[in-house]
Amino acid sequence: MSYIVEIEDVWKKFPMKRDRPGFKEFMVNLPRFVKRNSNSYFWAIKGVSFKVKTGECLGIIGKNGAGKSTLLSLILGTIYPTRGYVKVSQRITPLLELGAGFHPDLTGRENILINGVLLGLTRDEVMQRMSDIIAFSEISEFMDMPVRTYSSGMYLRLAFSVAIHIDPRLVLIDEVLAVGDAAFQKKSQDALTGLIKGVATAIFVSHNMDAIKKICDRTIWLADGEIKAEGEPKKVVEEYLRCSG
Amino acid sequence: MLKVDRELRRKWDLLWLLTKKEVTLKYKRTSLGILWSLLNPILVALVLFIAFGVFMKFEMENYAFFLLSALFPWNWFSASIILSSVTLIGNVNLIKRIRFPRHFLIIATVLAQFVNLLFSLPIIVGLAYFYGKGPGMNWFLAIPILIVLQFAATLGICLAISMVNAYFRDMEYIIGVIISMLFWMTPIIYPLDTVPKAYQIYLIFNPLTYLITAWRDIFMSNSINWSNMGISLGSSLVFFLLGVLVFHSLGKKLDEVI
Repeated sequence: MSYIVEIEDVWKKFPMKRDRPGFKEFMVNLPRFVKRNSNSYFWAIKGVSFKVKTGECLGIIGKNGAGKSTLLSLILGTIYPTRGYVKVSQRITPLLELGAGFHPDLTGRENILINGVLLGLTRDEVMQRMSDIIAFSEISEFMDMPVRTYSSGMYLRLAFSVAIHIDPRLVLIDEVLAVGDAAFQKKSQDALTGLIKGVATAIFVSHNMDAIKKICDRTIWLADGEIKAEGEPKKVVEEYLRCSG
Repeated sequence: MLKVDRELRRKWDLLWLLTKKEVTLKYKRTSLGILWSLLNPILVALVLFIAFGVFMKFEMENYAFFLLSALFPWNWFSASIILSSVTLIGNVNLIKRIRFPRHFLIIATVLAQFVNLLFSLPIIVGLAYFYGKGPGMNWFLAIPILIVLQFAATLGICLAISMVNAYFRDMEYIIGVIISMLFWMTPIIYPLDTVPKAYQIYLIFNPLTYLITAWRDIFMSNSINWSNMGISLGSSLVFFLLGVLVFHSLGKKLDEVI
Protein backbone atom coordinates (compact mmCIF):
# COMPACT_ATOMS: atom_id res chain seq x y z
CA MET A 1 0.00 0.00 0.00
CA SER A 2 1.41 3.37 -0.95
CA TYR A 3 1.15 6.29 1.41
CA ILE A 4 0.76 9.77 0.03
CA VAL A 5 1.42 11.49 3.33
CA GLU A 6 3.62 10.18 6.11
CA ILE A 7 3.92 12.09 9.33
CA GLU A 8 6.15 10.79 12.01
CA ASP A 9 6.44 12.14 15.52
CA VAL A 10 6.04 15.72 14.41
CA TRP A 11 6.46 18.54 16.89
CA LYS A 12 5.98 22.20 16.16
CA LYS A 13 6.58 25.10 18.47
CA PHE A 14 5.87 28.78 17.96
CA PRO A 15 7.42 31.58 19.93
CA MET A 16 4.75 33.12 22.16
CA LYS A 17 3.46 36.06 20.21
CA ARG A 18 4.07 39.02 22.40
CA ASP A 19 4.53 42.33 20.65
CA ARG A 20 8.10 43.31 20.89
CA PRO A 21 8.50 46.42 23.01
CA GLY A 22 9.38 49.63 21.26
CA PHE A 23 12.57 51.43 22.12
CA LYS A 24 10.96 53.76 24.64
CA GLU A 25 9.28 51.03 26.65
CA PHE A 26 12.45 49.04 26.47
CA MET A 27 14.47 51.82 28.07
CA VAL A 28 11.89 52.55 30.75
CA ASN A 29 11.52 48.93 31.72
CA LEU A 30 15.13 47.95 31.18
CA PRO A 31 15.69 46.18 34.53
CA ARG A 32 12.63 44.04 34.10
CA PHE A 33 13.52 42.96 30.58
CA VAL A 34 17.00 41.99 31.59
CA LYS A 35 15.73 39.86 34.45
CA ARG A 36 13.06 38.08 32.51
CA ASN A 37 14.93 36.76 29.55
CA SER A 38 11.80 35.09 28.39
CA ASN A 39 12.09 32.21 26.02
CA SER A 40 8.51 31.10 26.10
CA TYR A 41 7.20 28.81 23.43
CA PHE A 42 3.90 27.35 22.56
CA TRP A 43 3.83 23.80 21.32
CA ALA A 44 1.12 23.67 18.70
CA ILE A 45 1.77 20.08 17.66
CA LYS A 46 3.08 17.54 20.15
CA GLY A 47 4.28 14.31 18.69
CA VAL A 48 1.71 13.56 16.03
CA SER A 49 2.13 10.55 13.73
CA PHE A 50 -0.17 9.25 11.04
CA LYS A 51 -0.21 8.13 7.46
CA VAL A 52 -2.67 8.75 4.70
CA LYS A 53 -3.23 6.16 2.00
CA THR A 54 -3.68 7.09 -1.62
CA GLY A 55 -7.34 7.74 -2.33
CA GLU A 56 -8.33 8.00 1.28
CA CYS A 57 -10.27 10.86 2.82
CA LEU A 58 -9.05 11.76 6.26
CA GLY A 59 -11.08 14.04 8.50
CA ILE A 60 -9.55 16.11 11.27
CA ILE A 61 -11.72 17.45 14.06
CA GLY A 62 -11.01 19.28 17.27
CA LYS A 63 -11.63 22.48 19.16
CA ASN A 64 -10.33 25.86 18.03
CA GLY A 65 -6.63 26.05 18.73
CA ALA A 66 -6.17 22.29 18.81
CA GLY A 67 -3.57 22.50 16.05
CA LYS A 68 -5.64 21.50 13.03
CA SER A 69 -4.58 24.33 10.78
CA THR A 70 -0.98 24.09 11.88
CA LEU A 71 -1.08 20.43 10.90
CA LEU A 72 -2.43 21.29 7.46
CA SER A 73 0.26 23.93 6.96
CA LEU A 74 2.90 21.37 7.91
CA ILE A 75 1.56 18.97 5.30
CA LEU A 76 1.36 21.76 2.76
CA GLY A 77 4.97 22.60 3.49
CA THR A 78 4.63 26.30 4.21
CA ILE A 79 5.94 25.70 7.71
CA TYR A 80 8.58 23.28 8.89
CA PRO A 81 8.33 20.90 11.81
CA THR A 82 10.52 21.65 14.81
CA ARG A 83 11.11 17.93 15.22
CA GLY A 84 10.09 14.83 13.34
CA TYR A 85 9.39 14.61 9.64
CA VAL A 86 6.64 15.14 7.14
CA LYS A 87 6.77 13.35 3.82
CA VAL A 88 4.39 14.23 1.02
CA SER A 89 4.78 12.64 -2.37
CA GLN A 90 2.26 14.38 -4.61
CA ARG A 91 1.05 17.68 -5.89
CA ILE A 92 -1.12 19.42 -3.34
CA THR A 93 -4.00 21.80 -3.70
CA PRO A 94 -4.61 23.83 -0.65
CA LEU A 95 -8.18 24.94 -0.24
CA LEU A 96 -7.19 26.66 2.94
CA GLU A 97 -7.66 30.27 2.27
CA LEU A 98 -8.85 30.70 -1.25
CA GLY A 99 -7.30 33.25 -3.52
CA ALA A 100 -4.15 33.64 -1.47
CA GLY A 101 -2.09 34.32 -4.56
CA PHE A 102 -4.46 36.78 -6.16
CA HIS A 103 -3.29 40.28 -6.75
CA PRO A 104 -6.02 42.95 -6.71
CA ASP A 105 -4.59 44.94 -9.60
CA LEU A 106 -4.30 42.00 -12.00
CA THR A 107 -7.26 40.93 -14.09
CA GLY A 108 -9.15 37.72 -13.46
CA ARG A 109 -7.42 36.07 -16.38
CA GLU A 110 -3.94 37.13 -15.27
CA ASN A 111 -4.67 35.91 -11.76
CA ILE A 112 -5.85 32.54 -13.01
CA LEU A 113 -2.59 32.11 -14.87
CA ILE A 114 -0.26 33.09 -12.07
CA ASN A 115 -2.25 31.24 -9.42
CA GLY A 116 -2.42 28.10 -11.53
CA VAL A 117 1.33 28.10 -11.98
CA LEU A 118 1.88 28.79 -8.29
CA LEU A 119 -0.33 25.83 -7.45
CA GLY A 120 1.65 23.44 -9.59
CA LEU A 121 0.74 23.63 -13.26
CA THR A 122 2.83 24.79 -16.16
CA ARG A 123 1.77 27.83 -18.13
CA ASP A 124 0.54 25.71 -21.05
CA GLU A 125 -1.50 23.49 -18.76
CA VAL A 126 -3.24 26.53 -17.28
CA MET A 127 -3.92 27.92 -20.73
CA GLN A 128 -5.56 24.63 -21.76
CA ARG A 129 -7.85 24.78 -18.75
CA MET A 130 -8.49 28.49 -18.92
CA SER A 131 -11.90 28.23 -20.55
CA ASP A 132 -13.02 25.49 -18.14
CA ILE A 133 -11.93 27.54 -15.17
CA ILE A 134 -13.73 30.62 -16.43
CA ALA A 135 -16.85 28.64 -17.29
CA PHE A 136 -16.97 27.03 -13.86
CA SER A 137 -16.71 30.37 -12.10
CA GLU A 138 -19.69 31.69 -14.11
CA ILE A 139 -18.27 35.21 -14.13
CA SER A 140 -16.75 35.24 -17.60
CA GLU A 141 -17.86 38.80 -18.33
CA PHE A 142 -15.54 40.12 -15.61
CA MET A 143 -12.44 38.21 -16.64
CA ASP A 144 -10.62 41.20 -18.07
CA MET A 145 -11.29 43.46 -15.13
CA PRO A 146 -8.94 43.79 -12.18
CA VAL A 147 -9.84 41.52 -9.30
CA ARG A 148 -10.10 44.48 -6.93
CA THR A 149 -13.38 45.37 -8.64
CA TYR A 150 -14.88 41.96 -7.83
CA SER A 151 -17.37 41.35 -5.07
CA SER A 152 -16.17 38.96 -2.39
CA GLY A 153 -18.45 36.27 -3.76
CA MET A 154 -17.00 36.62 -7.25
CA TYR A 155 -13.50 36.57 -5.83
CA LEU A 156 -14.14 33.27 -4.03
CA ARG A 157 -15.79 31.71 -7.06
CA LEU A 158 -12.77 32.44 -9.17
CA ALA A 159 -10.37 31.20 -6.52
CA PHE A 160 -12.33 28.01 -6.05
CA SER A 161 -12.48 27.39 -9.80
CA VAL A 162 -8.72 27.62 -10.10
CA ALA A 163 -8.13 25.35 -7.12
CA ILE A 164 -10.52 22.69 -8.34
CA HIS A 165 -9.06 22.61 -11.86
CA ILE A 166 -5.43 21.86 -11.21
CA ASP A 167 -5.89 18.07 -10.96
CA PRO A 168 -4.46 17.69 -7.52
CA ARG A 169 -3.54 14.31 -6.12
CA LEU A 170 -3.93 15.59 -2.62
CA VAL A 171 -6.48 18.15 -1.49
CA LEU A 172 -6.26 19.95 1.81
CA ILE A 173 -9.57 21.45 2.83
CA ASP A 174 -10.07 23.82 5.69
CA GLU A 175 -13.75 24.67 6.01
CA VAL A 176 -14.33 26.21 2.63
CA LEU A 177 -17.30 24.25 1.49
CA ALA A 178 -19.44 27.34 1.72
CA VAL A 179 -18.47 29.39 -1.31
CA GLY A 180 -20.85 31.85 -2.91
CA ASP A 181 -24.62 31.69 -3.08
CA ALA A 182 -26.75 28.59 -2.59
CA ALA A 183 -26.51 27.46 -6.21
CA PHE A 184 -22.77 27.84 -6.40
CA GLN A 185 -22.38 26.23 -2.99
CA LYS A 186 -24.05 23.12 -4.25
CA LYS A 187 -22.01 23.15 -7.43
CA SER A 188 -18.72 23.59 -5.59
CA GLN A 189 -19.61 20.90 -3.08
CA ASP A 190 -20.46 18.49 -5.87
CA ALA A 191 -17.19 19.27 -7.63
CA LEU A 192 -15.25 18.74 -4.45
CA THR A 193 -17.02 15.53 -3.55
CA GLY A 194 -16.40 14.33 -7.11
CA LEU A 195 -12.74 15.10 -6.74
CA ILE A 196 -12.49 13.33 -3.40
CA LYS A 197 -14.45 10.29 -4.49
CA GLY A 198 -12.40 10.19 -7.68
CA VAL A 199 -8.64 10.02 -7.72
CA ALA A 200 -7.70 12.54 -5.13
CA THR A 201 -6.70 11.95 -1.56
CA ALA A 202 -8.17 14.49 0.80
CA ILE A 203 -7.46 15.81 4.23
CA PHE A 204 -10.48 17.61 5.50
CA VAL A 205 -10.65 19.87 8.54
CA SER A 206 -14.12 20.79 9.66
CA HIS A 207 -16.46 21.55 12.50
CA ASN A 208 -19.33 20.22 10.45
CA MET A 209 -19.72 16.76 11.97
CA ASP A 210 -22.28 15.63 9.41
CA ALA A 211 -19.92 16.42 6.55
CA ILE A 212 -17.13 14.55 8.32
CA LYS A 213 -19.31 11.51 8.81
CA LYS A 214 -20.54 11.64 5.22
CA ILE A 215 -17.29 12.22 3.32
CA CYS A 216 -14.44 10.80 5.38
CA ASP A 217 -13.11 7.26 5.55
CA ARG A 218 -11.19 7.89 8.72
CA THR A 219 -11.09 10.63 11.30
CA ILE A 220 -8.54 12.01 13.68
CA TRP A 221 -9.51 13.96 16.75
CA LEU A 222 -6.89 16.48 17.67
CA ALA A 223 -6.75 17.98 21.16
CA ASP A 224 -4.02 20.33 22.36
CA GLY A 225 -1.68 19.25 19.61
CA GLU A 226 -2.05 15.56 20.25
CA ILE A 227 -4.11 12.83 18.66
CA LYS A 228 -6.84 11.95 21.13
CA ALA A 229 -8.67 9.41 19.05
CA GLU A 230 -8.44 7.95 15.61
CA GLY A 231 -10.56 5.66 13.49
CA GLU A 232 -14.09 5.20 12.19
CA PRO A 233 -15.59 8.71 11.64
CA LYS A 234 -18.88 7.90 13.39
CA LYS A 235 -17.22 6.64 16.53
CA VAL A 236 -14.65 9.41 16.76
CA VAL A 237 -17.26 12.09 16.17
CA GLU A 238 -19.54 10.63 18.85
CA GLU A 239 -16.72 10.46 21.31
CA TYR A 240 -15.70 14.02 20.51
CA LEU A 241 -19.23 15.32 20.91
CA ARG A 242 -19.65 13.47 24.20
CA CYS A 243 -16.44 14.96 25.59
CA SER A 244 -17.08 18.51 24.50
CA GLY A 245 -20.56 18.31 25.88
CA MET B 1 12.89 12.33 -17.58
CA LEU B 2 9.63 13.78 -18.79
CA LYS B 3 8.68 14.57 -15.23
CA VAL B 4 11.91 16.41 -14.57
CA ASP B 5 11.40 18.43 -17.74
CA ARG B 6 7.91 19.36 -16.68
CA GLU B 7 9.02 20.50 -13.25
CA LEU B 8 11.79 22.58 -14.80
CA ARG B 9 9.36 24.04 -17.31
CA ARG B 10 6.99 24.96 -14.48
CA LYS B 11 9.73 26.66 -12.48
CA TRP B 12 10.71 28.64 -15.54
CA ASP B 13 7.09 29.65 -16.12
CA LEU B 14 6.72 30.66 -12.50
CA LEU B 15 9.83 32.84 -12.57
CA TRP B 16 8.74 34.42 -15.82
CA LEU B 17 5.26 35.21 -14.52
CA LEU B 18 6.51 36.58 -11.22
CA THR B 19 8.96 38.83 -13.01
CA LYS B 20 6.33 39.98 -15.46
CA LYS B 21 3.98 40.68 -12.60
CA GLU B 22 6.66 42.72 -10.87
CA VAL B 23 7.38 44.75 -14.00
CA THR B 24 3.79 45.42 -15.03
CA LEU B 25 2.24 45.92 -11.61
CA LYS B 26 4.59 48.69 -10.66
CA TYR B 27 3.09 51.15 -13.08
CA LYS B 28 -0.25 49.45 -13.65
CA ARG B 29 -2.44 52.29 -12.49
CA THR B 30 -0.35 55.14 -13.86
CA SER B 31 -1.09 56.86 -17.16
CA LEU B 32 2.44 56.67 -18.52
CA GLY B 33 2.81 53.03 -17.54
CA ILE B 34 6.06 51.32 -18.34
CA LEU B 35 7.44 54.60 -19.75
CA TRP B 36 8.23 55.52 -16.16
CA SER B 37 10.96 52.89 -16.26
CA LEU B 38 12.69 55.12 -18.76
CA LEU B 39 11.55 58.49 -17.51
CA ASN B 40 12.41 57.97 -13.86
CA PRO B 41 16.16 57.36 -14.27
CA ILE B 42 16.39 60.17 -16.82
CA LEU B 43 14.79 62.66 -14.46
CA VAL B 44 17.05 61.62 -11.60
CA ALA B 45 20.03 61.91 -13.93
CA LEU B 46 18.85 65.37 -14.97
CA VAL B 47 18.77 66.53 -11.36
CA LEU B 48 22.28 65.22 -10.75
CA PHE B 49 23.49 66.72 -14.01
CA ILE B 50 22.18 70.14 -13.10
CA ALA B 51 23.70 69.92 -9.64
CA PHE B 52 27.13 68.67 -10.62
CA GLY B 53 27.47 69.39 -14.31
CA VAL B 54 26.02 72.89 -14.32
CA PHE B 55 26.32 74.30 -10.79
CA MET B 56 29.48 72.57 -9.61
CA LYS B 57 31.02 72.52 -13.09
CA PHE B 58 33.02 69.30 -12.99
CA GLU B 59 35.98 69.79 -15.34
CA MET B 60 35.17 67.15 -17.86
CA GLU B 61 33.90 66.95 -21.37
CA ASN B 62 30.65 65.15 -21.58
CA TYR B 63 29.71 64.95 -17.97
CA ALA B 64 26.25 63.68 -18.89
CA PHE B 65 27.66 60.58 -20.55
CA PHE B 66 30.08 60.07 -17.67
CA LEU B 67 27.25 60.24 -15.17
CA LEU B 68 24.76 58.03 -16.98
CA SER B 69 27.26 55.28 -17.79
CA ALA B 70 27.57 54.61 -14.06
CA LEU B 71 24.19 55.76 -12.83
CA PHE B 72 22.12 53.28 -14.81
CA PRO B 73 23.95 50.17 -13.54
CA TRP B 74 23.89 51.68 -10.04
CA ASN B 75 20.12 52.14 -10.28
CA TRP B 76 19.70 48.45 -11.00
CA PHE B 77 21.67 47.65 -7.88
CA SER B 78 20.12 50.14 -5.49
CA ALA B 79 16.51 49.70 -6.58
CA SER B 80 16.81 45.92 -6.26
CA ILE B 81 18.20 46.18 -2.76
CA ILE B 82 15.60 48.67 -1.56
CA LEU B 83 12.67 46.77 -3.06
CA SER B 84 13.82 43.35 -1.98
CA SER B 85 13.99 44.36 1.67
CA VAL B 86 10.18 44.27 1.69
CA THR B 87 9.66 41.49 -0.85
CA LEU B 88 9.25 38.69 1.67
CA ILE B 89 7.25 40.59 4.27
CA GLY B 90 5.08 42.05 1.53
CA ASN B 91 4.13 38.63 0.21
CA VAL B 92 3.02 37.04 3.47
CA ASN B 93 -0.11 35.74 1.82
CA LEU B 94 1.79 33.76 -0.75
CA ILE B 95 4.46 32.51 1.60
CA LYS B 96 2.11 31.30 4.29
CA ARG B 97 -0.44 29.69 2.05
CA ILE B 98 1.22 28.35 -1.04
CA ARG B 99 4.28 26.19 -1.31
CA PHE B 100 6.69 27.45 -3.93
CA PRO B 101 10.36 28.37 -3.99
CA ARG B 102 10.48 31.58 -1.99
CA HIS B 103 13.73 32.74 -3.48
CA PHE B 104 11.88 33.15 -6.79
CA LEU B 105 10.27 36.26 -5.34
CA ILE B 106 13.68 37.80 -4.81
CA ILE B 107 15.01 36.72 -8.20
CA ALA B 108 11.94 38.26 -9.80
CA THR B 109 12.55 41.53 -7.98
CA VAL B 110 16.13 41.73 -9.23
CA LEU B 111 15.14 40.70 -12.77
CA ALA B 112 12.37 43.29 -12.89
CA GLN B 113 14.87 46.00 -12.03
CA PHE B 114 17.15 44.61 -14.71
CA VAL B 115 14.38 45.26 -17.22
CA ASN B 116 14.60 48.93 -16.24
CA LEU B 117 18.30 48.87 -17.09
CA LEU B 118 17.50 47.37 -20.48
CA PHE B 119 15.04 50.19 -21.04
CA SER B 120 17.66 52.82 -20.42
CA LEU B 121 20.35 51.08 -22.48
CA PRO B 122 19.34 52.76 -25.78
CA ILE B 123 20.30 56.10 -24.26
CA ILE B 124 23.76 54.79 -23.47
CA VAL B 125 24.09 53.34 -26.96
CA GLY B 126 23.14 56.71 -28.44
CA LEU B 127 25.62 58.59 -26.26
CA ALA B 128 28.37 56.10 -27.04
CA TYR B 129 27.66 56.44 -30.72
CA PHE B 130 27.89 60.23 -30.70
CA TYR B 131 30.49 60.93 -28.04
CA GLY B 132 32.32 57.76 -27.16
CA LYS B 133 34.17 55.11 -29.08
CA GLY B 134 30.87 53.70 -30.23
CA PRO B 135 29.33 50.36 -29.37
CA GLY B 136 31.98 47.87 -30.51
CA MET B 137 32.60 44.16 -30.46
CA ASN B 138 33.93 44.45 -26.92
CA TRP B 139 30.43 45.29 -25.78
CA PHE B 140 29.15 41.87 -26.68
CA LEU B 141 31.82 40.25 -24.56
CA ALA B 142 31.95 42.57 -21.56
CA ILE B 143 28.32 43.49 -21.04
CA PRO B 144 26.97 39.94 -20.58
CA ILE B 145 29.79 39.24 -18.14
CA LEU B 146 29.08 42.41 -16.20
CA ILE B 147 25.39 41.62 -16.13
CA VAL B 148 26.05 38.18 -14.68
CA LEU B 149 28.51 39.53 -12.11
CA GLN B 150 26.20 42.28 -10.96
CA PHE B 151 23.20 39.96 -10.97
CA ALA B 152 24.96 37.45 -8.74
CA ALA B 153 26.18 40.05 -6.27
CA THR B 154 22.86 41.89 -6.15
CA LEU B 155 20.86 38.70 -5.77
CA GLY B 156 23.07 37.52 -2.92
CA ILE B 157 22.69 40.77 -1.03
CA CYS B 158 18.94 40.90 -1.73
CA LEU B 159 18.42 37.35 -0.50
CA ALA B 160 20.16 38.12 2.76
CA ILE B 161 18.48 41.47 3.31
CA SER B 162 14.96 40.31 2.56
CA MET B 163 15.34 37.45 5.01
CA VAL B 164 16.99 39.48 7.75
CA ASN B 165 14.30 42.13 7.42
CA ALA B 166 11.65 39.53 8.22
CA TYR B 167 13.30 38.94 11.60
CA PHE B 168 14.50 42.43 12.25
CA ARG B 169 12.26 45.01 10.62
CA ASP B 170 14.61 47.89 11.34
CA MET B 171 16.73 46.55 8.51
CA GLU B 172 14.53 48.24 5.93
CA TYR B 173 15.42 51.68 7.30
CA ILE B 174 19.05 50.88 7.90
CA ILE B 175 19.31 49.80 4.27
CA GLY B 176 17.92 53.11 3.08
CA VAL B 177 20.72 54.92 4.88
CA ILE B 178 23.40 52.51 3.74
CA ILE B 179 22.32 52.76 0.12
CA SER B 180 22.50 56.54 0.07
CA MET B 181 25.86 56.37 1.81
CA LEU B 182 27.12 53.88 -0.76
CA PHE B 183 25.93 56.13 -3.56
CA TRP B 184 28.31 58.86 -2.44
CA MET B 185 31.09 56.41 -1.66
CA THR B 186 31.12 54.94 -5.15
CA PRO B 187 32.61 56.89 -8.05
CA ILE B 188 29.32 57.53 -9.84
CA ILE B 189 28.99 61.27 -9.98
CA TYR B 190 32.73 61.93 -9.72
CA PRO B 191 35.80 60.16 -11.12
CA LEU B 192 37.90 58.15 -8.68
CA ASP B 193 41.06 60.20 -9.25
CA THR B 194 39.45 63.47 -8.12
CA VAL B 195 39.18 62.04 -4.63
CA PRO B 196 42.06 63.12 -2.36
CA LYS B 197 44.61 60.36 -1.95
CA ALA B 198 43.97 60.07 1.77
CA TYR B 199 40.34 59.15 1.20
CA GLN B 200 40.73 56.96 -1.85
CA ILE B 201 41.43 54.04 0.42
CA TYR B 202 37.77 53.98 1.49
CA LEU B 203 36.64 53.72 -2.09
CA ILE B 204 39.15 51.02 -2.84
CA PHE B 205 37.58 48.80 -0.21
CA ASN B 206 34.18 49.26 -1.80
CA PRO B 207 33.57 46.36 -4.20
CA LEU B 208 31.07 48.46 -6.14
CA THR B 209 33.85 50.82 -7.21
CA TYR B 210 35.31 48.12 -9.43
CA LEU B 211 32.03 47.00 -10.91
CA ILE B 212 30.80 50.51 -11.67
CA THR B 213 34.14 51.54 -13.16
CA ALA B 214 34.12 48.46 -15.38
CA TRP B 215 30.68 49.43 -16.66
CA ARG B 216 31.89 52.95 -17.35
CA ASP B 217 35.00 51.75 -19.15
CA ILE B 218 33.06 49.62 -21.58
CA PHE B 219 30.38 52.22 -22.19
CA MET B 220 32.64 55.25 -22.55
CA SER B 221 35.83 53.92 -24.06
CA ASN B 222 34.87 50.50 -25.39
CA SER B 223 37.61 48.93 -23.29
CA ILE B 224 37.38 45.86 -21.13
CA ASN B 225 38.75 46.39 -17.68
CA TRP B 226 39.80 42.82 -16.92
CA SER B 227 41.37 43.50 -13.55
CA ASN B 228 38.22 45.21 -12.27
CA MET B 229 36.12 42.41 -13.63
CA GLY B 230 38.33 39.87 -11.89
CA ILE B 231 37.90 41.65 -8.57
CA SER B 232 34.15 41.88 -9.18
CA LEU B 233 34.03 38.16 -9.90
CA GLY B 234 35.55 37.49 -6.50
CA SER B 235 33.26 39.82 -4.60
CA SER B 236 30.17 38.68 -6.51
CA LEU B 237 30.91 35.09 -5.61
CA VAL B 238 31.33 35.97 -1.95
CA PHE B 239 28.11 38.02 -1.82
CA PHE B 240 26.17 35.40 -3.70
CA LEU B 241 27.26 32.53 -1.49
CA LEU B 242 26.77 34.50 1.71
CA GLY B 243 23.30 35.51 0.57
CA VAL B 244 22.29 31.96 -0.24
CA LEU B 245 23.63 30.78 3.09
CA VAL B 246 21.74 33.42 5.10
CA PHE B 247 18.54 32.87 3.12
CA HIS B 248 18.68 29.15 3.54
CA SER B 249 19.55 29.02 7.22
CA LEU B 250 17.12 31.72 8.35
CA GLY B 251 14.42 30.53 5.94
CA LYS B 252 13.55 27.53 8.08
CA LYS B 253 11.98 29.66 10.76
CA LEU B 254 10.52 32.29 8.47
CA ASP B 255 6.97 31.12 9.14
CA GLU B 256 7.37 31.90 12.83
CA VAL B 257 8.36 35.54 12.38
CA ILE B 258 6.57 36.72 9.28
